[in-house]
Amino acid sequence: MADPQPPREPARIAQQDEADLVARAVAGERAAFGMLVERYAGVARRVARAVLGNAEDADDAAQDAMLSALVKLEQYDARRPFGPWLLRIVANAATDRRRRRSVRRVEPLDVGLTAGGPRPDATVERRALNERLRQALAELPERRRMAVVLFDVEGYSHGEIALILGIPEGTVRSEVFHARRRLRVLLADWKEEG
Amino acid sequence: MIDPLPFDHRRDGVLGRALREALDPGDAQAFVARVVALAGQVRVPSWDAVLARWARAGVAAALVVALAAGYLVGRGTAASPTAARPTVSDVLIAPPAHPAEVEVVLASVIGNN
Repeated sequence: MADPQPPREPARIAQQDEADLVARAVAGERAAFGMLVERYAGVARRVARAVLGNAEDADDAAQDAMLSALVKLEQYDARRPFGPWLLRIVANAATDRRRRRSVRRVEPLDVGLTAGGPRPDATVERRALNERLRQALAELPERRRMAVVLFDVEGYSHGEIALILGIPEGTVRSEVFHARRRLRVLLADWKEEG
Repeated sequence: MIDPLPFDHRRDGVLGRALREALDPGDAQAFVARVVALAGQVRVPSWDAVLARWARAGVAAALVVALAAGYLVGRGTAASPTAARPTVSDVLIAPPAHPAEVEVVLASVIGNN
């Protein structure tokens, strides 16, 4: 199913609107919390997947983070944007889960994909590219992965990403640059092959 | 794709779309429904619960302080008789409380002779 929101939607949502939703959620209104979950489910799951690789683990981490955010909701400062606050919890939950995972489970690439086997149609090609992108992403350091996903996929600014990851803005720029360099090579190779 | 300039502040639409598709988890509604259902079981701490927790911590801290104070006072009381009892050297070095004792010493010396 398609994600209910465009990539940069969270950053654009009026802060007042979110503060109102948070206040209602704190007061016990589950529907308000549901709206917040609906808005941020996509970005939370993608960021968690960038960290964990595995879709099921990512969903579990995103879910834990959402529930943890609900418990901590009273600590949220309504003068600040909600997205970075929530995504920091998501990033921490995903990182914790990855550390706890005793055996690293990386979904293996199809032999046909790595060997440059035949590509019967566009869907298969697309799937293969997705798989290769996930693999390439998995090879990047964790912070770099999150930085590039938050910047190029989710549309957050360097400053917001710095808040989410708890690192200086200059480091965010550097991480995004290095991640892009690696991933662009992969995309370019793919185009040439295709 | 945008030229790979170092620290480019512009977003790379092509890379962003490709990554978004690669990371797309799918079935957003099922995920949202699951989280919202679980949220119903989560107990959000209310202000009175927080106060009660702090009160419990306060009572526990007061108990610890009372026990520590009791121990110190008890130790002080037990130590005081030892401090009040003079040692042999104290008695010998200390100046005599009654100067009349000199006469007693003289009398005993004369008596020996």
